[in-house]
Amino acid sequence: MFLNFAFRYVLAYKRRSAITVLLGAVSTALLIFTSAWMDGSHGQLIKNSVEIYSGYIQVTASGFRENPGFDKLVFDYGSLQDQIKTVPGVDVVSPRLETFVLFSAGEKAVGGMLIGIDPDKEKRISRLFSSLKGGAYLVGTDTIQLYIGSELARRLKLDLGDELAFVGSGTDYSFAADKLVVKGIFQTGLFEFDASAAFLAKPYFDSIMASENIASQVIVLPKEPVRAAQLASVIRKTVGGAFEVASWQQTMSALLKSMKLDSVFGYITLGLIFIVIFFVVMIYTLLAVFSRVKEIGIMRAIGTTPREVLLLLLLESSFLSFLSVVLGGIAGALSAYYFSIYPVSFTGMEEQFKQYGLAVATIPTSFKPLIILRDMAIMFFLLVLATLYPIIKVNCLKPIEAIHHV
Amino acid sequence: MTAFLTVRHIAKSFHLDKDVTVSALRDINLDIDRGEFVVISGPSGSGKTTLLNIIGGLDVPDSGEVILDGLKLTGLSERSLSRVRRDHIGFVFQAYNLLPVLTARENIEYVMRLQGVKGERCRIRSAEISEKLGIVSLLDKLPNQLSGGQQQRVAVARSVAATPRLVLADEPTANLDSKSAIALIDMMEKLNQEEGVTVIFSSHDPMVIGKARRSVVLKDGKLVANNAI
Ligand SMILES: Nc1ncnc2c1ncn2[C@@H]1O[C@H](COP(=O)(O)OP(=O)(O)O)[C@@H](O)[C@H]1O
Ligand SMILES: [Mg+2]
Repeated sequence: MFLNFAFRYVLAYKRRSAITVLLGAVSTALLIFTSAWMDGSHGQLIKNSVEIYSGYIQVTASGFRENPGFDKLVFDYGSLQDQIKTVPGVDVVSPRLETFVLFSAGEKAVGGMLIGIDPDKEKRISRLFSSLKGGAYLVGTDTIQLYIGSELARRLKLDLGDELAFVGSGTDYSFAADKLVVKGIFQTGLFEFDASAAFLAKPYFDSIMASENIASQVIVLPKEPVRAAQLASVIRKTVGGAFEVASWQQTMSALLKSMKLDSVFGYITLGLIFIVIFFVVMIYTLLAVFSRVKEIGIMRAIGTTPREVLLLLLLESSFLSFLSVVLGGIAGALSAYYFSIYPVSFTGMEEQFKQYGLAVATIPTSFKPLIILRDMAIMFFLLVLATLYPIIKVNCLKPIEAIHHV
Repeated sequence: MTAFLTVRHIAKSFHLDKDVTVSALRDINLDIDRGEFVVISGPSGSGKTTLLNIIGGLDVPDSGEVILDGLKLTGLSERSLSRVRRDHIGFVFQAYNLLPVLTARENIEYVMRLQGVKGERCRIRSAEISEKLGIVSLLDKLPNQLSGGQQQRVAVARSVAATPRLVLADEPTANLDSKSAIALIDMMEKLNQEEGVTVIFSSHDPMVIGKARRSVVLKDGKLVANNAI
C-alpha cells in the first residue's frame, strides 16, 4: 500500500520530484563523466608513453637503469637477442643505443640524445615511424641521414635537408663527431622527447660510435601487450642475472605514481563535489519534507506508525533516487561513450598538456560499463543517504507538533 | 461497572518560557459511557484541544490517567499509541484533515488500509459510509477540489470508516458557516446513533453545543460543568 502511496506522492508533487530527479541525475552524470575522464586521461597517458617510445619491455645490462654509463651496455646484442627470441610470446626484439651529444647548427648548439636504431624493427616497437611530420623515415642503409624531433629541429633552426654537426663520445670513450643532414622530422607528442631526440640508422651509427653489436637497451614487443609483465618475468629467467628486464609498469613507475597522485586529487575534488551535492539534496529534501509536515502529522495522528511514515518517505526517496541514477547513468554513459570515440581536443591548452608530457591535447574518455554501474550505485546510496536525515528529523516530531507546525 | 472512557486526575501544563508556565488542564475527572454524544465546550484557551489530545493519545498528561475500554493509554509507547489510534479512535480536526494527494475515497479508506483490510472490503465500507453521509459524488475528487464543508464531511466519513470505538472531533465546525456546521453535527449524530460509535467533540458555538446530549464545560483548564442536556 505504501508503495502505491509513494508513487502518488511522487506524481502529485511533479515539480518537486522533477527537481529532485534533475539534481540527482546531473550529479550522477557528472560523477560518471568525471571518473571516465580521469580513467581515460590516465589510460591515454600510459598508452602514449609506452607506445610512443619507451616500449612494453626493456632489457638492459644490470645496473644500467639505475646508473647509465658506457660501462654497463649490452656488449653482445646478437646472443642476447637470440636468447630472448626463444621465449614464447615475444614478437619483436629491437636494439637501441642511446648516447648524449651536443648538436650544433649555425650559431645554435643544443644538447640532446643521438640514438642508433634498427629502422625496420623500430617501426614495429614504437610510433617513431608514424610520428613522421616531414621528410622521410630512416632505412637501414642510411648513413648521415638524421631523423630528428620537431622541437629539437626548431631549436636548432633546422629544416629538411639542412646540415648540422654533433660531438660526443664513442662507446670506447673515443672522441666522436660527424656532419649530419636532416632526412626526416618527427613529432610524437611527448614534448620532452621531441625536444631532445634524434635518430640514425644503427649500422652507420655503430661505425662512428664503435658500437657494433652493442646496445644500451633492447626493446621487446610482446605478442599480447596486456601480458607484458608476465612475459618480462619469463625473459628475466631466460637471460639471467647479468641483465635487467623491466616491463612498462617498472619503467613508468614514476608516471604511475604521479597518476596515482593525480587520481587522489581527482577523488578529493570529486569528494568535495559530493559533499556539496549531498548537502544540496539534503537541504532540498528537508524543505520538501517539512512543507508536508502537517500531512505527516495527520497521518501519524490517525494511526500511521513512525516506522510506516519512514517506509513511505524512504520509498519515495528511493524511487526518485533510482530514477535520478538511471537517467543520470544513461546521460553519463552516453557522454563517456561519445567522448571515447570522439576524444575531446583542447586547442589552446597545449601549454598545460606539455607539463604532462603531451603535446597533442586530445583525451578520449574511458567507457567501462562496470565502472559506470559502480558510480550509479555510489550515487544511489549517496542520494538516499542525503534524504535520510530530513526523513528521520520529520519523523521525530510528535503528531500534534507536526499538525501545528507552521 | 467502570465507564467506557475514564479520565482521572489529568493535569497538563505548558512551559512557554523558563519561568512562564500555563496550566492548560487541572485535575480533570470525567467518565463517559459507550454510545454517548458529548460536547466539550468553553472559551478559547480553556483546554478543550489539550483534553481531546490527551484522550486520543496524541499528547501525554503530566499526571493522571486515561483508560479507554479497559486499556490504560497513559504510559504506552508511541508505537502502541499509534496502533490504539489506528484501531480504536477516529479523529476529525479543525482543518487540514485530509491527505492532499489522495482522493476522498482513498482518504476514507486510509485507516482501513493501514489495518490491512482488503481492497474489496474497503470499497464496500467507504461506499456504505458515503451513502449514509450523502458524499458519494465527492469520492473521486481530490481534497483541493472540495469546499471546506465537503472536506469536513469526508473527514467525518474517514473518522468512522474503520469502525472505531471512539470519535474525537476538535472544533470540527469552527471553519464552517452555521448551516454547514449544523449539517456536519447532524451527520455525526446520525453516525453516533446508527453505528453506535461514541463521539466527543468540542465547540464554542451555542448552536452546535445544543445538539449534544451531554455537555462538559471547561474554564481555565478546570471542569466547571458536566450535565446531560
Ligand atoms: N503546545 C502548547 N504550548 C504552549 N501552550 C499551549 C500549547 N497548547 C496549548 N497551550 C495553552 O494551553 C491552554 C489551553 O489551550 P487549548 O487546549 O488549545 O485550549 P482550547 O482548545 O480550549 O482553545 C491555552 O492557554 C494555550 O495557550
Ligand atoms: Mg482548541
